[in-house]
Amino acid sequence: MTANTRSSAPVLQLDHLTRRRAGRRAVEDVNLQLQRGQVLGLLGVNGAGKSTTLSMVAGALRPDSGTIQLNGEDFLEYPELASRLIGWLPERAPLWPELTVCEHLDAHGRLRGFKAKALRDARTAIIERLELQPLAHRLAGVLSQGQRQRLGLACALLHRPALLVLDEPANALDPVQVAALRSVIREQAASGTAVILSTHLLTEVTAVCDRVAILHEGTLRHDGLVHGNDHAALERTFFDIAMHGNASTARAA
Amino acid sequence: MNTSAVARLEWRRLIVRPLAWVLAAITLAWLAWNFTLLMGTFLASQMQRAALPDSPGFTDLVAVPLLAQLVQLGFMVVPLLTMSVIAGERRSGTLPLLFAAGVTASRIVLGKYLAVLGWLLLWLLLTLAMPLALAHLVNLDWGKLAAATLGLILTLAALAALGIACSTFASHPAIAAAAALVITLALWYVNLGAQMAGINGGAINWLAMSSHLQPMLRGLVSTTDIVWFVLLIAVSLTLATQRLSAERERG
Repeated sequence: MTANTRSSAPVLQLDHLTRRRAGRRAVEDVNLQLQRGQVLGLLGVNGAGKSTTLSMVAGALRPDSGTIQLNGEDFLEYPELASRLIGWLPERAPLWPELTVCEHLDAHGRLRGFKAKALRDARTAIIERLELQPLAHRLAGVLSQGQRQRLGLACALLHRPALLVLDEPANALDPVQVAALRSVIREQAASGTAVILSTHLLTEVTAVCDRVAILHEGTLRHDGLVHGNDHAALERTFFDIAMHGNASTARAA
Repeated sequence: MNTSAVARLEWRRLIVRPLAWVLAAITLAWLAWNFTLLMGTFLASQMQRAALPDSPGFTDLVAVPLLAQLVQLGFMVVPLLTMSVIAGERRSGTLPLLFAAGVTASRIVLGKYLAVLGWLLLWLLLTLAMPLALAHLVNLDWGKLAAATLGLILTLAALAALGIACSTFASHPAIAAAAALVITLALWYVNLGAQMAGINGGAINWLAMSSHLQPMLRGLVSTTDIVWFVLLIAVSLTLATQRLSAERERG
């Protein structure tokens, strides 16, 4: 497995990724590359295929065809790569309601093969970074939606993944929490982690992303750089694709 | 490593939920009450049995009947204990987290199975403690008790595997519990009709769980009976694993 690893390889490479769901093509022929430290915003209307794409990238769903490479290694052949390379925060952060915040982090650490000492250190670090100290011994079942998102993010970051997959992480967060989330994403990118961020919010993309990819009806219709705060250009591209299926009438964002 | 992490996670979830404690408290209280009744009968018949050669002892009259009651309680307890193991994870959306942590379907099933089995073995141990507490006062037939215990372990292990398989296939925990109960009762009584018709051999008897446990409760251990239980466990866990793998494929 490691013999195939190339240090210069992109963190994530999707080739011709295709997946059917409920009898229709949810994702079709998606090609994408993501380098270390890049933050990719994945945009699209509801049902565009964002969550399906992210589920496949996170290893929770297998594609019907196409390949996923993580650091140059075939992820479909070695699904165990997920345990060390990927941190995933699904939409609505699924948690075990009967476990405390600390127990969640411990469980995620053990599932990823952490030894006791390393787990303790990683848990302490992430609890401090995401300011979860007051919640550490609280049951997940009684957390607010924003607190659940923070715990989900902590679980995704615990093992310092090479690729962070965030599915609409700003949902249900207040403006202060959104700002904190942006800060964490920028910090992760600065440390070399590649980030994919699925969102409905164009402001989210212009605020933290280097690149933007727009999915429509399961296919990738746009993949380009985000230029500073050119929110209007991105908006035109997005609405052109959402309403007409292509970005031909709009300037590239 | 993944298997033990899944087992530990499931064990933790099992012991922090009230269901497992309530089940343990109710069933152990029931078994303790029955133990005192069996002891009463045993002591009352002591004089009559003393006059008979080869009369049944403490093991036949108290320990084994107590274990037989545990099996019957297991028909209800195991489905309730296993119903949420996979179906509950699916409903709360946490199952994809395990896949995304690189845990294979077989390790998820095995880890969860080991956790449930651990609870059931503890339950069996606490029940066994009742007759064993009197071991220094009565004449225990250790061989017979060991055979019966082996039978109990295999039966509980098989019921747990069946329960987990049902939990993997069912969309709702309640459906999983009902399915596990129905399949268990069907496996237990599948030969009842044949027995009532006076047929005591053949494939239908081989299928019945009761015909493999009863000899062990009488102190007879045969490879055929052990293989039957091992096969049931293997088939159930394999089906559960395949269903979970297919779920990951299908999404």
